[in-house]
Amino acid sequence: MVDVFIKYPRLGRLFDLALPLLATLAALGVGAIMLQLLGANPIKAYGALLNGAFGSTNAVADTIVRATPLLLVALGICIAFRAGVINIGGEGQLVAGAILATLIGLKMPDAPGIVIIPLALIAGFVGGAIWGGIPGVLKAYYNVNEILSTIMLNIIAVQGMNYLLRGPMIDPAQMEVSSRIPQTARLAQAFDLPRWVPTRLHLGALIAVILAFLVYILLWRTTVGYRIRAVGLNPEASRYAGIRVRRNIVLALLLSGAFAGLAGAVQVYGVHHRMFTDGSLAGFTGSAGFNGIVAALFGKLNPIGAIPASFIFGALIVGANSLQRAMQVPAALITALNGLVVVFVVSSDIFSRRLARSRQIGAEASAAETGTNIKPDIGAGSKPAPTGNVPAEAPPALNAEGEASK
Amino acid sequence: MDNAQLIAVLASIVLQASPLIIAVCGEILTERSGVVNLSLDGSMLMSAMTGFLVGMKTDNVWLGFAAAAVVGMIFAAIVALGSIRLNQSQVAIGFVLTLLGDDLSAFMGQNYTRMRGVIVPHYGIPLLKDIPVVGKIFFDQDIVVYFAMALIAATWWWLNRTQPGLKLRGSGERPQAAFARGIDVNRQRYIYTLLGGALVGIAGAAYSLNVKIGWSDGHIRGMGWIALAIVIFGGWSPIRGAFGAVLFGATKALATVLQRAFPEVSVVAFNSLPWILMIFVLLAVGSDYTERFINAMPQGWQRPLRRILRVSPPMALGTPFHEG
Repeated sequence: MVDVFIKYPRLGRLFDLALPLLATLAALGVGAIMLQLLGANPIKAYGALLNGAFGSTNAVADTIVRATPLLLVALGICIAFRAGVINIGGEGQLVAGAILATLIGLKMPDAPGIVIIPLALIAGFVGGAIWGGIPGVLKAYYNVNEILSTIMLNIIAVQGMNYLLRGPMIDPAQMEVSSRIPQTARLAQAFDLPRWVPTRLHLGALIAVILAFLVYILLWRTTVGYRIRAVGLNPEASRYAGIRVRRNIVLALLLSGAFAGLAGAVQVYGVHHRMFTDGSLAGFTGSAGFNGIVAALFGKLNPIGAIPASFIFGALIVGANSLQRAMQVPAALITALNGLVVVFVVSSDIFSRRLARSRQIGAEASAAETGTNIKPDIGAGSKPAPTGNVPAEAPPALNAEGEASK
Repeated sequence: MDNAQLIAVLASIVLQASPLIIAVCGEILTERSGVVNLSLDGSMLMSAMTGFLVGMKTDNVWLGFAAAAVVGMIFAAIVALGSIRLNQSQVAIGFVLTLLGDDLSAFMGQNYTRMRGVIVPHYGIPLLKDIPVVGKIFFDQDIVVYFAMALIAATWWWLNRTQPGLKLRGSGERPQAAFARGIDVNRQRYIYTLLGGALVGIAGAAYSLNVKIGWSDGHIRGMGWIALAIVIFGGWSPIRGAFGAVLFGATKALATVLQRAFPEVSVVAFNSLPWILMIFVLLAVGSDYTERFINAMPQGWQRPLRRILRVSPPMALGTPFHEG
């Protein structure tokens, strides 16, 4: 098989591109077995899933709406992971952003929407940045492992959210009745993000896609992004090159949190138009903070790659709901399926890398035999300088727990 | 609060800490060999569910523990295979497995929530339990708690006083050097990742069969992360780790007591207390200021103080090893 790829390098590159797709199919195959075991017809089930996700204009719009927060969180995760920091606090940062954004809308109910909406989005950005910046400072200046501090800040965020929504921020109308559902009042209609009537598709999706390209430019076309990636690839070398490692770690986590916070603001102003809680984080976020990490990994930590990745996960989530309704299959199966897809895609990566290596070795061997020079771009194995066009590999610091990057 | 109440609270802290201690010892073995098993939260949920289910179906607690250990080993095996053989990021695999375990346990255990199952029988050690105060707190418990206590000592002894323990530490600290001395580093890592996973599985079952009996969706969510935090706080030492687990249990108990004492303060403040304290503790052990503080102390104190206040992870933690 490898010989074929040596002969036709283009074919090899095509195979690399198709690999995540093949891995997804393989995961769905495993899912089919699970469905069969549950006594559901897998073909019918996947039909229901596809129909639910793409069956109508409304379905596609819903898919995009579900994908929007995933994409925003994933953008932040791309920045953090590229800097070698593992930000698992997307959930808490999303909630922090949502709270601050909601406050803006609640405090100024009479202001015009054109003022409030941008202000609220900025508030979400800032709220998330604060909640992301705390672990950033703790990691950079006090060596606190960011995996743990972000997880703990998630838990503190949910406590804070529950407190605010049951007390100071609760809907005055809910104070009157005995049920006292912990939620805020509905924000003024004027503050709703513009949406494409009659679907639920709102402006947030467009914002997210534009930001994806901006983050790409930031990471691969600016000095700031170069420094962030350099810190992720080799903090020691970056230090010798005069890059302020600590400052860049803080910056990466600030930005990472900011995008999650923006996702929270977009959810409030585009989808729910209020904040509510069922006591857990997932009740409000829909686990977007966690699924965004998965989407980012799925998109190989490339902001552009995160767009289709989030879309696929949005489709899986929306499709799962209709699958549940149509086939009486628990939706938890689909979340498990999400995990399977990621495991398969992540592990497919190794095959492409190994193939690339053997391709290169094979090419060198055949070149040595015939005495010809090989072009440097014979396979993905010999990689040019990290321009984002090549799906660059994750920074090595990712392999280690937080301290290792110190 | 009179003395009897205080002793009861202390005994319950020890009971509450026992699963954490088991999980922490397991993870310490894994991480000391150089592998991070980040999937603790998911694998503990999954093994808690399995342990409860198997225990209930077979009407045998110990079969429940065995099944839970197997589940923990399966999760650990995926981490080991992915990181050692397939060269993947250990963090990514562990994280994905965390989510998978959470969802899968909710899915597979959905028909068995809030049911009555089997529980570990109470067993006071004769003689020892009659020691005043100490006996009531430590020796009037059950076998799982005694297992946790024995595990602290066993793990410490294994790591620091035996030949295999030396090999284990070598694989985690200086894999190249260990390899040069004829140790199969990756084999060590496989063994201890699996062993650690089995212990983590037992810890999960210790919750559902002994400490927080029963099963419900997201039963012990968050405890896996706590265990990971305690491993770091404990500086990868089982004794310090056990101390951390007890400390965590104590802050939780303290929060409950304080809440009763100050009902006007919001519940939120007390619920967040253990977590905020945890962050501060991590901050203290890692900070440069602590180092400065130690350096300002008299010469003779510096070494012991550093041993108590500072932590340093195994040098090769989380980095893959390639022969040659």
